[in-house]
Amino acid sequence: MKDRVVISPTTRQEGHAELVMEVDDEGIVTKGMYFSITPVRGLEKMVLSKAPETAPVLCQRICGVCPIPHTLASAEAIDQALGIEIPKAARLLREATLAAHNINSAAIHHFLVAPDFVPDELFAAAVDSVSEVRKNVQYVVDMIAGEGIHPSDVRVGGMARNITPFAKERLIERMTALKPKLEAHIELIKNCVAESAEKMGMPEDLGVVNQPLLAVHPTYGVNEFDMDAFSEVLPEAWYDDPEVGKRGCSVIPLINGTNVETGPRARMEKFQGFKGKGVIAQHVARADEMMKNYEACMEALDAIDPAASARADYDPRGTGELGFGIIEGPRGTNAHMAKVEDGKTKFYSAIVPTTWNIPTMGPATEGFHHEFGPHVIRAYDPCLSCATHVMVVDDEDKSILKNEMVRI
Amino acid sequence: MVLGTYKEAISARSTDSKILDVSQDGGIVSALLCYALDEGILEGAVVAGTPDDDWRPIPTVVTSSDEVIAAAGTKYSMSPTLSALKEATRQYGLEKVGVVATPCQVQGLRKAKAYPMTRFVADKVKLIIGIYCMENFPMASLDTFATAKLGFDSLTDATKMDIGKGKFWLTKDGEDNGLAIKETHGYEQAGCNICMDYVAEWADVSTGSVGSPDGWSTVLTRTDDGDSIFKAAVDAGLIETKPMDEVKPGLGLLEKLAKGKKDKNGKERENRAKLGLPLPVEY
Repeated sequence: MKDRVVISPTTRQEGHAELVMEVDDEGIVTKGMYFSITPVRGLEKMVLSKAPETAPVLCQRICGVCPIPHTLASAEAIDQALGIEIPKAARLLREATLAAHNINSAAIHHFLVAPDFVPDELFAAAVDSVSEVRKNVQYVVDMIAGEGIHPSDVRVGGMARNITPFAKERLIERMTALKPKLEAHIELIKNCVAESAEKMGMPEDLGVVNQPLLAVHPTYGVNEFDMDAFSEVLPEAWYDDPEVGKRGCSVIPLINGTNVETGPRARMEKFQGFKGKGVIAQHVARADEMMKNYEACMEALDAIDPAASARADYDPRGTGELGFGIIEGPRGTNAHMAKVEDGKTKFYSAIVPTTWNIPTMGPATEGFHHEFGPHVIRAYDPCLSCATHVMVVDDEDKSILKNEMVRI
Repeated sequence: MVLGTYKEAISARSTDSKILDVSQDGGIVSALLCYALDEGILEGAVVAGTPDDDWRPIPTVVTSSDEVIAAAGTKYSMSPTLSALKEATRQYGLEKVGVVATPCQVQGLRKAKAYPMTRFVADKVKLIIGIYCMENFPMASLDTFATAKLGFDSLTDATKMDIGKGKFWLTKDGEDNGLAIKETHGYEQAGCNICMDYVAEWADVSTGSVGSPDGWSTVLTRTDDGDSIFKAAVDAGLIETKPMDEVKPGLGLLEKLAKGKKDKNGKERENRAKLGLPLPVEY
């Protein structure tokens, strides 16, 4: 007998998605399908025919969970679309900002998965540790980029301003004081994951996939993207189940015709020699990557010359060529691309990290009991909050006429 | 209470000749900031500077007493001072910030501190020094006073600018040129005509020349923070004081001008209300 287990919406992730698992008599998943149920991001359309500087301001609003990668990807895409080479100081400021943010976002994920792994007696300590880490790295983002959420000071052409020597000293001092706490935090999370995975009988190979890895930089990003290798298909064409295909809201991005894995584990394997696959390895890689980002942040902070200019002059008319801002966000590769002509944005597209993982996450649940399904999903730290819930409202009396897309 | 809530009114003057050489009156703003910066009570302050010596005020972040002294003196045009507060609390990395502000800016800043919308900005403001203000002029108005009304070739010829004794003064080649205040009417920014606050009623400490003799300032300490910093600067010998009732023209004049502003602008508010124009809330 074939049965279906549906989790809708999947929980303790950002945004709303659905996990459909076909299971056999033993409850083992024979087919897993994960798809976004939140349509309409819209921001790529809003920036069209507007000044190029509008794009980073609007597109950072794609997400309040990882606004920094969106701001940077957008700014970098526009920088390239305008033919700007940003000053070295700006690049370092951006690198420090992203590395700090990625630590913050990993800590947020630890909070989300804490109920899975952290025993009651350690729960308060783990939450405190998450808060302590976040407070300090968000301080770095605040100081350099203006705001921890939706930064005001990442600008086309670089950064609004450089930091002062006093601020640089203070940031390094604060990050130095954070190091032992961060090390303890990483240990705590890794221990909790190891112990509780064993206790709950989580298979070691749970969630192992052998998809190609998508990762472009250990801690920052690049301005190139192989458009020849890239393709997109509609969910109708991807999912075998026509009902799922109809309801799936995000297109399926592919590299060389196949779905990929992106995120901390992909980066750690590609650039840091990390070994291990599957759910437990993903948690370990995410925790270990916090220290890589810490080192990247300190290195960038140390190298910043506060006397240097952090913003380039530029011609806002645009080159007419496609510019790429490919940034490694906490959840994977965040690709923004833009074209600017006659001082107006003519094309804009964003393929955000979880979109790459969506076609990979469902099949990752296959071969194990469906009760482990949510663990597999959460190991990817999916974030789909970049989509809006849509309903139809009567113009006159504002009554809701249609609200069938998402039922929470 | 035409002067708002205050703990003490006192006439005061900086004891530092470096400050008095450049200050508008008693150098109280500069003395307080220099003291607070030197003692680490503040890490920096947002002030109106004139980096180009063209009388155009530019919001400036200062972190040392030298920078305070370089920015000393009243500017008679609008400075969007609070706009530099973000930079002070971000790229400058300052946690304890002072602000020198006009009454309207103090109102905005107090609101920013009261509402939870200016995350990690307004909460880092530890001292608000308010300056007495009857009205403020756009740069074009100052140009007009200098060239069309006083016959200067350019506003930049003026070496000092002051308002006092019923006149707007510009000093050129060592000579003071006065323009009757009524000649300046109509040149102020329109918003000033509905402002009810002359003495920065919501500041931690307010100061200005009115009420005290030449070269001295009248200080109103309003909050515990303002009062304690002022007293500490006095105790440290950086500020000398005289009781208000021993100086001429005395507190009566300050009260008269503060009430005059409220009366005159209260009428203008009524006029605008009759016309159906929007009015900001009166504080």
